[in-house]
Amino acid sequence: MTILAKSMLTLAAGIAAGLAYAGSASAADKELLIGDQCDRTGPTQIVGTVLCPAMQDYYKLVNSKGGIDGWMIKADEIDNAYKVPEAIEAYERQKQMGALLMTLYGTPQTVALNQRLEQDKMPTTSPGFGISAAADGTRFPYLFPVAATYWSQAAGAVKFAKDQLGGDLKGKKIAYIYYDNPAGKEAMPILEALQKQEGYDMRTFAVPPPGVELGAQIIDITQRYHPDFIIAHLFGRSPSVLIKGLKGAGFPLKHVIGLVWASAEADILAAGGWNVAEGYNTLQFAGAGDDYPVRDEIKAMYKKDGKDPPKEMADTVVYNRGLLQAAIQVEALKNALKISGGQKPTTEQIKAGMEQIHDFTLGGLVPPLQITATDHEGGGWVRVFQVKGGKFVAATDWMHPYHDVVEKQVKSAE
Amino acid sequence: MPEFDLRFTLYLLTNGVMIGLMYALIALGFVLIYKATDAINFAQGEFVMFAGFIAAGAAEYIHAPFWVAALLAIGGMAALGFALERVVLRPLIGRPVIAVVMATIGLAAVLRGGAVLAFGAGTRAISLPIPDDPIPLGPVTLPPVEVVGATVSLLFLAGFTWFFLKSRTGIAMRAVADSQQVAMAMGINVRRYFAFAWAMAGIVSALGGIVWGAMLGVDNQLALVGLKVFPVVILGGLDSIIGAVVGGLIVGIVENLAAGYFDPIVGGGTKDFVPYLLMIIVLMVRPEGIFGRRRIERV
Amino acid sequence: MFHREAGIFKTSYAADMALYPLPIARWAVAVLAAFFVVIVPLTWGDYPLSVANLVLIAIVGALGLNILVGYTGQISIGAGAFMSVGAYTAANLVVHLHAPFWIALPAGGLMAALIGAIVGIPSLRIKGIYLAIATLAAQLIIEWTINHVQWISGGVQASITVPRPSVFGVKLVSERQIYCFLMFFVVLAIVATLNLVRSRIGRAFIAIRDQDIAAEIIGINIFKYKLYAFAISSFFAGVTGALESYYLGIANYEQFQIDVSIDYLAMVIIGGLGSVLGSVFGAIFVTLLPIATRWFLEASGGIFFAQADMLNVIPNLRLVIFGGLIIFFLVVEPEGLNRLWRNIRNYFRVWPFSY
Repeated sequence: MTILAKSMLTLAAGIAAGLAYAGSASAADKELLIGDQCDRTGPTQIVGTVLCPAMQDYYKLVNSKGGIDGWMIKADEIDNAYKVPEAIEAYERQKQMGALLMTLYGTPQTVALNQRLEQDKMPTTSPGFGISAAADGTRFPYLFPVAATYWSQAAGAVKFAKDQLGGDLKGKKIAYIYYDNPAGKEAMPILEALQKQEGYDMRTFAVPPPGVELGAQIIDITQRYHPDFIIAHLFGRSPSVLIKGLKGAGFPLKHVIGLVWASAEADILAAGGWNVAEGYNTLQFAGAGDDYPVRDEIKAMYKKDGKDPPKEMADTVVYNRGLLQAAIQVEALKNALKISGGQKPTTEQIKAGMEQIHDFTLGGLVPPLQITATDHEGGGWVRVFQVKGGKFVAATDWMHPYHDVVEKQVKSAE
Repeated sequence: MPEFDLRFTLYLLTNGVMIGLMYALIALGFVLIYKATDAINFAQGEFVMFAGFIAAGAAEYIHAPFWVAALLAIGGMAALGFALERVVLRPLIGRPVIAVVMATIGLAAVLRGGAVLAFGAGTRAISLPIPDDPIPLGPVTLPPVEVVGATVSLLFLAGFTWFFLKSRTGIAMRAVADSQQVAMAMGINVRRYFAFAWAMAGIVSALGGIVWGAMLGVDNQLALVGLKVFPVVILGGLDSIIGAVVGGLIVGIVENLAAGYFDPIVGGGTKDFVPYLLMIIVLMVRPEGIFGRRRIERV
Repeated sequence: MFHREAGIFKTSYAADMALYPLPIARWAVAVLAAFFVVIVPLTWGDYPLSVANLVLIAIVGALGLNILVGYTGQISIGAGAFMSVGAYTAANLVVHLHAPFWIALPAGGLMAALIGAIVGIPSLRIKGIYLAIATLAAQLIIEWTINHVQWISGGVQASITVPRPSVFGVKLVSERQIYCFLMFFVVLAIVATLNLVRSRIGRAFIAIRDQDIAAEIIGINIFKYKLYAFAISSFFAGVTGALESYYLGIANYEQFQIDVSIDYLAMVIIGGLGSVLGSVFGAIFVTLLPIATRWFLEASGGIFFAQADMLNVIPNLRLVIFGGLIIFFLVVEPEGLNRLWRNIRNYFRVWPFSY
């Protein structure tokens, strides 16, 4: 036989072996399977390569303490590279494996899977991305943003700008620089609604993906528009490019605020370091920094195994978000087990368990969320952390400003 | 159209020139490969990315100081160029153009996945040993990273122009590009020059990777700068060194002017597709570009 | 001994021109059809059916691209953009005019065909690699247009939710139902393509691919036929896009970007340029590849890599295998999986004799 035929046969044998294995994978007894999706190789890998290991670490921590009332957590993670067909395939596969709770990743993926979630009654978390209107639990019963959506984030940014500019925005100029895709444009309705309410002037600047070069936008903002405040809604590579460029153009970074995905350690470091980004404000939906008991517990867990804490922990922003997401899921499972009386909970019970979460703060890492059957966002809490002296320092407390405006937007969206 | 503002336009033009020269740095690698071996390299962006990975990886894993990391990147990419020519290009000589194009597309995927496998996931920074503050030049200021990139680009332009005009190796490579059979008949070792051309392209990509990596940070998304290569080389001519530089300048300037003056009308994002529109017009009117050689098709 | 052509005599033109003149071929096709059309949907579970559905959608797109690239020899990197044109057209018709699927699908295809013909106009003057780069530009320009023109994209989110189609009053909700729906179109596409390439238009396409100047000399209007090729290929792509949005439930241009165009090009090349069966093979192969490598690595990777690293390794190794296989096929078997199949078939033609 030719070499080619032999290699094809080996490949086929490998595939067959893989198929056999795949067919047999499923959740064992006393195990709760969570289906995770992640982007580790695509455009948002700067987030995925830190967020997903954080979730795995939290599950490991919970398991090391005996699980949830004796039930162990098993998390299956599949990389979807921010593509929709892979996300669908991953969802179906994890569903077949017996997953009870899903973690989706990516706005278009969440939109695409929404119909299936309702059909399959599969609860899912989508913190910091996804459909902003999903805050409405009656219209999106199985989708849980559990963290400030882009609408709440935009409202938080405007409130911060208002406070920084002396309490009044009338006549002031705000520049909104955003990634030119659906997720980036999502915050605009809130900004426009608040513009009418607060009376500021706003100009928008689009950054086409992949956002590797923002020279023209920065020049336009700094040399022509001269705004009083800049709100940045960027992803991936672009936040660091923006910070560097604005610093280079001499624009005061303390009058710049980045929404949640423009606000990680990696962005600061890629921009050139802490001293370059000094003053830059970041909006967070999970507490930033190292000063939380749960982080110490994870470090202790690794030390007990004789290992160093993983390098992902050097990030105190995205890593903490991963912890938040995993912690909320575990809390929901805990509530669901109470509902089911210790039996393996059904997906509807987990949904109910999710809707019972309140006053859960994980030592300050998590805002005072109140998730109910009608509010799947938990209140839209955000907090601003500023880059000061080589780390993130809290600049405000947990807040959810303009909540009425956001709620109106949620109701009116279709 | 918003009113014309001289200072603003000057800023845009300066930025356009600087970024255009940086695009040219990437395009030079592409042109080298096409000029010498007639291969369209869809993996040019990945070459730049891989070089960035080598430099950033050296800094992270063996704590190499900048110059050592840079030399490792240059050497590594030259070796990679040699290896790729042997493994990917050599077996496909004489095959239709689409085969080589698809092979480089496959190569792009291999490099993207391979870089992360070799060096680890996560985004890294490259810090150049230059001050961070912008350099003032008359009414405008220039970011230092871009100044370095532009200078490297111009140095290469001068170097390669001399190389292809005056040096023995350069003339031999032009002969090989013109007609392989005649070159072989004249005693030129065609295979050696193919390998040499790819190695040179690797070196150019290494410098591009260091500069672009310093500007953007190194991870597998850095490869996306490679998409800009096409408008640049179509405008300038697929096989022209000076065309790469001129094409880069044109694309850089057009992009910036479009972003400054068209974006407010259209609502953003024109920067990315105006160069492609320009490219299509050039393809219809003068496909070989400004400095390219007209291809004569023999029946 | 199996694939016997001796002893089969045709007594009419119709028999001679039939798609499958040999009884063995007819039996094989019938068995395959019975398996895929009847047995599979009845016996397979939800997850395998969902994978099969993705493959079916890919087959339609690959067939279309093959007409342009394989039969007419025009390299196109714009397949993704034409799919998004079809997807958004169908989605808009469904959402605003409540069009049933048997209007929305062809409409999506026709709109894509129109855009495809426009994109093909430069092919009058541009050839080969320049045409490929021009189609790349078309891909990016069409993406930009959809993103920015709100009455196409349906708003800031640029994604339109598409409810599942209803066939004869039954709303297609389960994977099984969608499978049958898609299979209908796949069969239609395969039969259409097979007949197209044997027809006059198909022969013109092949002439243009092989020797376009000679074709022009003998009187084939190559510009007209190139436009046909672009239009027909884009029609297939538009239908593929519309089918995909029906299946996924949304139309979103981010699903149809350049990586998708490259995937389809890979399908056509790995499968074998200029062969219908090849496109089918290629579509199956490229769609299953990421899934299969993930299974394979999950099963065996534990030997080489630590558990924590695995999650980073799997997707990157997948990319390396994808690219590596493309190069491998190009170098070792340039005519793709189809050639491999032919070799196997020819082996059995004279089996048990070896010559």
